[in-house]
Amino acid sequence: MTLELASVSYRYAGYARPALRDVSLRVDDGEIVGIVGANEAGKTTLCLVASGLAPASIGGRLLSGSVVADGQDLARIPVHGLAERVAIGFQDPATQLSGATGSVIEEVALGPLNLGMPGREALERAHEALDALNIGDLAERDPLRLSGGQGQLVVIAALLAMRPRHLVLDEPTAQLDPHGTRLVADALRRLAAVGTALLIAEHKTDLLDELCGRIAVLDGGALVGDGSAASVLEDPRLVDRGVAPPSRVTIRRAIEAAGAAP
Amino acid sequence: MTARADAAEAAHREAAVQPGLEPEDAALVARLVPPVPSPYHRLNPLTKAAIATAGSLAAIVVGGYPVPLLVIVAALVSAEIAGLLGRLVRVTVAVGLALAISIVLVSTLTRAGETVLFVIGPFDVTAEGVDFAAQTLLKVFALSLSIGLFTLTTHPRALVADLERRGVSSRFAFVALATIEAVPAMVRRAGVIAEAQRARGLDSEGGVVARARGLLPLVGPVLISAVTEVEQRSLALEARAFSRPGRRDLLWAMPDRGAERALRWIVGGVLLAVVLGHLGGLV
Amino acid sequence: MTTIAIEDLVFDYPDGTRAIDGLDLSIAAGERVAIVGQNGSGKSTLIRHLNGLLRPTVGRVLIDGQDIASQRVAHLAAVVGLAFQDPDRQIFAGRVDAEVAFGPRNLGLRDGALEAAVSDALDVVGLDGVRAAKPYDLGYSRRKLLGLASILAMGTPVVVLDEPTTGQDARGIDRVRSIVRSISTDRTVIAVSHDMDFVAAEFGRIVVMRSGRIILDGTPADVFAADSWQTLATTFLEPPRAAVAGVEAGVGATPTPEALATALRAAGRGASDTDATDGAVRT
Repeated sequence: MTLELASVSYRYAGYARPALRDVSLRVDDGEIVGIVGANEAGKTTLCLVASGLAPASIGGRLLSGSVVADGQDLARIPVHGLAERVAIGFQDPATQLSGATGSVIEEVALGPLNLGMPGREALERAHEALDALNIGDLAERDPLRLSGGQGQLVVIAALLAMRPRHLVLDEPTAQLDPHGTRLVADALRRLAAVGTALLIAEHKTDLLDELCGRIAVLDGGALVGDGSAASVLEDPRLVDRGVAPPSRVTIRRAIEAAGAAP
Repeated sequence: MTARADAAEAAHREAAVQPGLEPEDAALVARLVPPVPSPYHRLNPLTKAAIATAGSLAAIVVGGYPVPLLVIVAALVSAEIAGLLGRLVRVTVAVGLALAISIVLVSTLTRAGETVLFVIGPFDVTAEGVDFAAQTLLKVFALSLSIGLFTLTTHPRALVADLERRGVSSRFAFVALATIEAVPAMVRRAGVIAEAQRARGLDSEGGVVARARGLLPLVGPVLISAVTEVEQRSLALEARAFSRPGRRDLLWAMPDRGAERALRWIVGGVLLAVVLGHLGGLV
Repeated sequence: MTTIAIEDLVFDYPDGTRAIDGLDLSIAAGERVAIVGQNGSGKSTLIRHLNGLLRPTVGRVLIDGQDIASQRVAHLAAVVGLAFQDPDRQIFAGRVDAEVAFGPRNLGLRDGALEAAVSDALDVVGLDGVRAAKPYDLGYSRRKLLGLASILAMGTPVVVLDEPTTGQDARGIDRVRSIVRSISTDRTVIAVSHDMDFVAAEFGRIVVMRSGRIILDGTPADVFAADSWQTLATTFLEPPRAAVAGVEAGVGATPTPEALATALRAAGRGASDTDATDGAVRT
């Protein structure tokens, strides 16, 4: 089961220049692939395109190429059908929670209910998703009164409840404090261990260093690097692309620089 | 709350849960159903809406003294059954007091009439004016008590779930809830924005002119962030299949009983009779 | 010479939550202080007391020895500039320079002085080339810098930065670091941040908060020393990797990679002592 972008170029409505240029990327079953790049390099656009929401929900145009999930071209699937194939989570938990439910378990069951499942099955899925992320104890809490980290986990659970084959996360820890970041990171590692395919865009290279097997680098809408996490994060050109290397790399370079001086 | 009352509430909430769930899940969902601590709370949302509408319309259309007074008394009695009398009165007075005072002032001082009771400056306070003011006040209070009683005894989610059960589309349901939430959300956002602008010297503690000049730096970001938030939320909800057509299963919805359906018809009938009677000169 | 003194501060939100639970803090003129802690530790509440957005429930805030309780936020804005985390909560103008001019204009600057303040601020943050641009045409990174410029232009002796690096990419963070360095030559700079590397490198003093109290207060070397790790762990904070590596190498808790490198060299260790594959120092 793969998610594959093949030579994708995408342009937002009303813009002259494409936000993504000829991007080819493949995420295989059980892989965690990271995406790094400066702000406006196209990370969010890549996430939106990979999940099919661009162009289906937000407009704009796929100028070339295709996005295929498990053999199905996302462009041919109606928007509400995308969620079961490729689910996407964003930075801000507050705007991803529906605000229409009074408890976490209802919130997480909402997706399956929307998909037409009977209540019994929807709740089963909801319990499953909460357990996968170790937040079963939050089931009866008010989603709007949780900490940032907890809220983000509820959002991810809500996505998982739809059993997507691929999960795309656009900077899931950007608005979280260190504790929240740790909660989400641990949860994602647990997910990867059971074979969920993840595509994560992030600035925190330390985090991606821990989680990802592969990392792709975006610069100006084009993919300028795609390889093992170690090789990409140690590439000296990373800084020029507007990405800060993980601390272990900066430490090593500082030591080498000091040691190299006479 | 007596043990019997608690049992009645528990039973009602259990009855609201969708049939066919695992027993543990059914108990869980029953706990999540909004509280309904009194018999009045336990009326179906549509029934309570019918009562509020009938009371308001009757008071406004018919006017006079007897009908609005009857509505006011009925609302207060219902509030007492709901255990909310004090709260309802406080809220109604808080919301309606300013309006009530201005009505009284304007009506008594300006209404033309024949029987002058006393004179204040250039204004003649007439018996007709006082009469008019009293009737208008009664209408205002009948309206606000009816609506207040409804909002205090009906949880928005319960109302929306009930509408959805009767066939209203789930997307409309979501929009309805979001709209109800929209005002407090915008107030919170405005507060956050006001902080940032005050930190830049925007004077919010000064005089009226200073505050008026300070509107654009407040309004601009509030609108932009409101729009952005709506955009982001819609996108996130799309990602959870909100736009899928067709009905969706509800985990719970407030029960409706034959007796209440009958009650709604009766209420509607009485309203009609009262209005027609009024138009026909009988009431 | 602007000194800040906070005495016995306690702050309760209207709903009863105690956000600050007894806090004393003194900040000398020209200091560079970072305040760290999880969300809910009280750090955001604390900085809002510095410009009067929040007022103590108990205790005092003194600026230059004077209790600021009676001073309006609009006046305090001339002394303490507070740059918030989200630039989009304050941007309202149609041009970058107009946006930056808002703060200083509120403080009474006009004509030449105003123009100079705006230009200087834009220079410091690196947005001088886009002064005529529409703020929302700039990307998020640059909008954040715009927010910063808006406060810098006010020329306040104290500048408070709320999460200046959150959401910034590498270039943005570098820019923020150099801004902090250049403005701290003649101002007191206080920053609230989650970024331990940023804080360890750019601030001479770190104050760690948990549950409304200060639990650690000292230089980066002190705060990240090995015997503080347990305390840090109680609030789920981790010391920078360089400090951990330094302690493991026996050269002490060096807060930054450069400090680590220098310490290793001084101890006669060099590049050959590092494990090239993961940057860990071989002891």
